[in-house]
Amino acid sequence: MKIDPDKKIDPSVELPDAWWHRVYIGVIIATILVITALWAFSQHFSS
Amino acid sequence: MKLLDWVIVVGYLAYVIWDGIRMTKNSGNVEGYFLANRSLPWWAVGLSVMATQLSAITLVGTTGQAYTDGMRFIQFYYGLPLAMVILCITVVPFFYRAKVYTAYEYLENRFDAKTRSLTSFFFLISRGLGVGVIIAAPSVILSIVLGWSEVVTIFVIGLSTTFYTMVGGVQAVTWTDVKQMTIIFFGLFVVLFVIVSQFPPHVSLTDGLYLAGSLGKLQTVNTSFDLTEKYTIWSGLIAALFLFLSYFGCDQSQVQRFLTSKSVSEGRTSLLMSAFFKIPMQFMILLVGVLVFVFYQFVMPPMLFNTVEADKIPPSAQYSALQSDFQRAHEVRKEAALAFVGSRTETTREAYVSADKGFNDARKNAIDFVKTSTGNSSFNDVNYVFPTFVVENMPMGVIGLIIAAIFAAAMSSISAELNALATATTIDFYRRHFQKEATDKHYVRFGRIATFFWGIFACIVAMYATNIGSLIEVVNKFGSFFYGSLLGVFVLAIVVKRARARGAFFGLLFGIASVWIASSYTNIEFLWFNVVGCLVTVAAGYLISLTVTDKEIISSNA
Repeated sequence: MKIDPDKKIDPSVELPDAWWHRVYIGVIIATILVITALWAFSQHFSS
Repeated sequence: MKLLDWVIVVGYLAYVIWDGIRMTKNSGNVEGYFLANRSLPWWAVGLSVMATQLSAITLVGTTGQAYTDGMRFIQFYYGLPLAMVILCITVVPFFYRAKVYTAYEYLENRFDAKTRSLTSFFFLISRGLGVGVIIAAPSVILSIVLGWSEVVTIFVIGLSTTFYTMVGGVQAVTWTDVKQMTIIFFGLFVVLFVIVSQFPPHVSLTDGLYLAGSLGKLQTVNTSFDLTEKYTIWSGLIAALFLFLSYFGCDQSQVQRFLTSKSVSEGRTSLLMSAFFKIPMQFMILLVGVLVFVFYQFVMPPMLFNTVEADKIPPSAQYSALQSDFQRAHEVRKEAALAFVGSRTETTREAYVSADKGFNDARKNAIDFVKTSTGNSSFNDVNYVFPTFVVENMPMGVIGLIIAAIFAAAMSSISAELNALATATTIDFYRRHFQKEATDKHYVRFGRIATFFWGIFACIVAMYATNIGSLIEVVNKFGSFFYGSLLGVFVLAIVVKRARARGAFFGLLFGIASVWIASSYTNIEFLWFNVVGCLVTVAAGYLISLTVTDKEIISSNA
């Protein structure tokens, strides 16, 4: 399902599963990036 | 503490009580009092989820831990975003659409009343004791910092929180949580800025981070597979994942947060907000602790941060010698730190690492001396590092702000716990077993009485917890026994179609027994108990369920 970013979402209406699946993947990718950034931070200042 | 600091602390307490009490609108019926009529916006619920988890002991203990041990603790939170995603897919829509008040209510729909009552009972016992410890820990610290007696701090924190929670219900809890989180964030940003501004003129933030990094205090990823090591990336991603699934998905104090949302989508968004912000927030808290450590490279730290225990030690030649050794070790380390900041070479780094070791040895000798001379073998002053640092080194106004933030962290957790305890008592026991048909007004009145009861109970537990150190350990262990096994029951309920009531009930008991065996006969760290409890409960529950025949199900339904 194509998501229109400009479309206002009514909070009382449930969002479709396809939208949520993208959000979940986004959360997991963001977490991997955060852990990688933290690892890089500790490596940088420990060297 | 100066007058301005007292004004800030007293002003905070007065405001939060007033703010909580005025939230009585729409809390006259059962759904309004316990679930805010399922009307709260995602951002308020999300902040409340974070505030409930961030207790004062997290704020104070984590900064102290970063001071002594560095940032390793952050790995504990690596599994949290994944846990939130799993919960958003599974329990959030399940609970929300089932229109339940408590997580355990769902278990009666799926299994039977016995399983619901047992899980709710375990929740009441573990949380009832746990909230006492949540009150006790900051009360002891604040009593030393503020110069009040422990009983006074216990009742200031405990009763003020009980009062507004009792009157305003879940709406008061959520909206005060929002303001309390704002105070905590603001306080942390201010303290970060002030610490760095108090470094010597030629020492920058980057220099400070290199100092901490050279001692391994910025380690954020440990790939060791050792199960006896507390914080590794694996214990965070696997073992803590089970803990977070259980805590956010099966513990009423958290489930009740997202049940107050306007819709399933808003409930999901509130949990994902926590998924996004928890690791950066914890990083910020740990960074404060690390920067306190850097600050004390250039300013003489107290040899013992717990001044009450330190004052109990009678003057002696041995103690004076320890103090002299400690001062000397600090001076040596300070010189080595300045040399390392001046030129970051391998030689200056090795000299600094060696000087830090000498300093740690001097402090360890002092701590060992305290343990021997006071007979307190569990003496540990890690939790006193941050409050002592704040009171001794922060400017006027900032001290009041940070003390208010510690109060806020304590009260935000306590209010949510009391509200959840009252909900489980009213819905899972009183309404289910004693008074099935009564008016909303009656149940709300009972909910207020239950809140008051649990508030007083928690204050009494807190008074004992301050004197009996091992009680804290008992409560933590009891919580670990319970969490994984409870998660196992919900996995059986939601995922295993063949699971039956008998399997769930006895599976839970088997799970708790297995954790007890693991804790008694192995050295594995407590985070892994959650994995053990969950897996054993699911396996035992499934196998026992296979013994239930269709005939038995039909006859029990009849």
